[in-house]
Amino acid sequence: MIGVWAVELGLFVLVVAALLAERPIAVGLTVAAIGILLLAARTSPRLWGWVATAFRTHRAAALAGAAVLALALPFFLRASPYWTFVATMALIYVTIGQGLNVQMGTAGVINLAGAAFAGLGGYTVGLLTVRLGFAPWLAFAIGPLVAMVVGALLFIPILKVRGHYLALVTIAFGFIFNILMNNLEFTGGPQGIKNIPTLRLFGHAFTTAPTLFGVTLPSHANFYYAALAMAALVTWLAWRLYNSWVGLTLNTLRDDEIAAKCSGVSVTRHKLLAFSIGNLFVGLAGAFYAVMVGFVSPPDFDFGYSLVMLSVVILGGLDSIPGVVLGACLLIPLPERFRMLHEYRLLLYGAAIVLMLLFRPRGLWPAGVRRYGLGSPAGSFGAAGTRAEGVGVSR
Amino acid sequence: MSLFATRGLTVRFGGLTAVDHVDAGVEEGETLGLIGPNGSGKTTFFNAVTGLVPATGEVVFRGAPLPGLEPHQICRRGIARTFQASRLCLGLSVFDNVLIGMHTHVRCGLLEALFRRARMLSEVRQALKQAAHLLSLFNADLVDRGFDPVGALPQIDRRRVEICRALAAQPRLLLLDEPSAGMSPEETVELMKDLQIVREEMPGLSIIIIEHDMFVIEGVSRRVVAFNYGRKIAEGTFAEVARNEEVREAYLGRGSGTEGSARA
Ligand SMILES: Nc1ncnc2c1ncn2[C@@H]1O[C@H](COP(=O)(O)OP(=O)(O)OP(=O)(O)O)[C@@H](O)[C@H]1O
Ligand SMILES: [Mg+2]
Repeated sequence: MIGVWAVELGLFVLVVAALLAERPIAVGLTVAAIGILLLAARTSPRLWGWVATAFRTHRAAALAGAAVLALALPFFLRASPYWTFVATMALIYVTIGQGLNVQMGTAGVINLAGAAFAGLGGYTVGLLTVRLGFAPWLAFAIGPLVAMVVGALLFIPILKVRGHYLALVTIAFGFIFNILMNNLEFTGGPQGIKNIPTLRLFGHAFTTAPTLFGVTLPSHANFYYAALAMAALVTWLAWRLYNSWVGLTLNTLRDDEIAAKCSGVSVTRHKLLAFSIGNLFVGLAGAFYAVMVGFVSPPDFDFGYSLVMLSVVILGGLDSIPGVVLGACLLIPLPERFRMLHEYRLLLYGAAIVLMLLFRPRGLWPAGVRRYGLGSPAGSFGAAGTRAEGVGVSR
Repeated sequence: MSLFATRGLTVRFGGLTAVDHVDAGVEEGETLGLIGPNGSGKTTFFNAVTGLVPATGEVVFRGAPLPGLEPHQICRRGIARTFQASRLCLGLSVFDNVLIGMHTHVRCGLLEALFRRARMLSEVRQALKQAAHLLSLFNADLVDRGFDPVGALPQIDRRRVEICRALAAQPRLLLLDEPSAGMSPEETVELMKDLQIVREEMPGLSIIIIEHDMFVIEGVSRRVVAFNYGRKIAEGTFAEVARNEEVREAYLGRGSGTEGSARA
């Protein structure tokens, strides 16, 4: 258990150092240290085996340790509002990634309009608060629902369409969304919607710098903690969804639609379900983004961001819930750290996708088999005495 | 009255009549063999019955007509099937591949999955026990490998998992599409034993089995229907059908004897 925490703490220190290091030498050293450690772990089966076993046997401790470190992060980044912001963006992408993963990873329903669905959430918040005077929390709650409902309405006419047509339709939808936002009067055209009011919690506005344990953090820390709660909630829901009948059903229709149908699965209903849940999560992240930055405009939700979202899921590992977290936490901060890469961000993401598909098609953290969180070995279900029972679960 | 019967069942693909006015039926607890040369419409007959291809004519199952229903609704009525070319989800575990067969009996949905975990897990646990029971009928090792991906299993075990998936739906009628396809002679013998076990364990279950292997057909089915060019050309006991002129011609005419070396 101590070992698990030591590994986590070590990685955390290295990551924080890599983020905050000013001089190129220091950056290089920390990055090299992380690289060497990962390489050592991967090339030495014993070391890797030890780490993997330790994390598997002490999963609760590992999760608790990670939670403590995630909560502590703003204190270490407090000198830099910028990095607090980047960390928040990574958490927003965790939320988005979980949503897209339900669609693409679990159910095999391709969605190349992630940015547009995030935009639906964001614009809904902007329109409801600025134009119609809704309370910010209420608008924030409605945003994701709008993304979900619009997604479902878009999906229903093409429910019967098979294969990759849906992917094409989502691409088209993404562009139409952008063109509409750019040209409609009431969405503010290219300027977008400004001055979206911020959220308040118990009278504390998210734009005022919080003081915790006598330490004053940058105001972005408010959003960091809120995003952490959001990402944790969505990841938790995604995990439960995956480890359930629903996850199994979605996996089956992804792998073999005909087998699913002949096993009694209503394919269209379940695809719609996966698409809706995914868009709900993505829309939630979009709404969060809108209240965080205080404005929305068309370029915030263009096709490029849909690709970023896609690469988060593919890099982490399709259908892998921890993979999504890893993918977002790697892909979002990386180009920010190396500013020269920033220009070529999309190129970087494109290269990442191609390399992954070539060399590690199941992602950095591949999905394992579903164990429903039961933790029991397979043999334990073959206990004697079940022979007498009839076949079927319903009795 | 028979459990399942078709009257004038017909499937057309453009100019080709793949199933041509077929009348066939099966009694409760009976195993019916379905034979015929390659391309004679056996699989298409199953596809029509399970709603995968549009058909005309009548299908009556448990006293109610089936046509017009979606495949998943037909499964819900109590017809389960396997496929000639395996349709398992190779990346999913052995257990998962059997559990999906119980889909129509599952009570817990999204709400239970997310917020009423204890209820869902107790249903899953029970389902896993059922799956383990079904798997152990054929091969006890399959239970210990329950959380391995199905893709790691040998061919015969995959076929067993596929049969378990169909049985998990608690069907009244089971359609087996060439279960011995792609198996060695030794594996085919094992498979026959497996089918005998199914017969004993589920005496009320009706089975229609497509087979090219006449040894299997003779071993498991008392009554046989023969197809040629989409038409039913013979029906009766195995011996009767094997003696039938038209049947012999259908097989010999295509250069393969009744011992049926021809496989798709
Ligand atoms: N979806 C389809 N579209 C067009 N033609 C089809 C389709 N499915 C089957 N056919 C044709 O229908 C005929 C019957 O095919 P079917 O697969 O039912 O034969 P089969 O008796 O199962 O043969 P085998 O023993 O080779 O499995 C064949 O000529 C086949 O090419
Ligand atoms: Mg066939």
